Amino acid sequence: MPSFTHQVANLLQDGPLVEVRFGIGAVLADILRKQGSAIPEFVAGHALIDTGATRTVVRQDILQQLHLNPVGVTHITTASSQGVRCYEYLARIVFPSNVVIETVVIGAPLRGQPINCLVGRDILSQSVLVYVGYTNTFTLSF
Amino acid sequence: MATTDLLSAEVATFESLRKELIGCAVGKYALVHGDELCGVFESNKDAIRQGYERFGNAPFLVKQVVEVEIPQHFTSNLMGV
Repeated sequence: MPSFTHQVANLLQDGPLVEVRFGIGAVLADILRKQGSAIPEFVAGHALIDTGATRTVVRQDILQQLHLNPVGVTHITTASSQGVRCYEYLARIVFPSNVVIETVVIGAPLRGQPINCLVGRDILSQSVLVYVGYTNTFTLSF
Repeated sequence: MATTDLLSAEVATFESLRKELIGCAVGKYALVHGDELCGVFESNKDAIRQGYERFGNAPFLVKQVVEVEIPQHFTSNLMGV
């Protein structure tokens, strides 16, 4: 069972934040490889596990660095906005211990945030999250 | 946030076919490129795979055929929209 446990300095202050890498989907990587085209390198970033997010979101500039084009469109609603149109992209997220999850993510600005990604309930629906506040650790098992 | 209209043609094509698709393919995933419906698939991943194999790393639309589209909800204000 792929799993990782991560400790942060202050779980109360920062939340369940983890270093990740973002990459293009495996199907696209195969196609680019067969074409002899360069495969974009994985991009490092920080993800916050967010149980209040229906879907996983990746900051738009990360998706641009991966030269990804959209494969879908959806609408999002937040506390301050309703029905905002956003593009969807197929991407891979590599968590610690080389746990790789491929999923359709939503591209969004995530402006002014020190994070590049919100890990939403779409990924969490495949996993077990254990949050241990008094040791500043959390575990995500798939 | 959609700052360009990369998939506007695909969305328009899908919307023009929505009624017909609901009649025969509700719950399945439509693959659309430009003004063409390129197929209907059982899963999102199958449709996306077919899209990449046919069009490479170019924009295409994979959309689930549903009667009512429900927005994705986010309780935080981290989204920046």
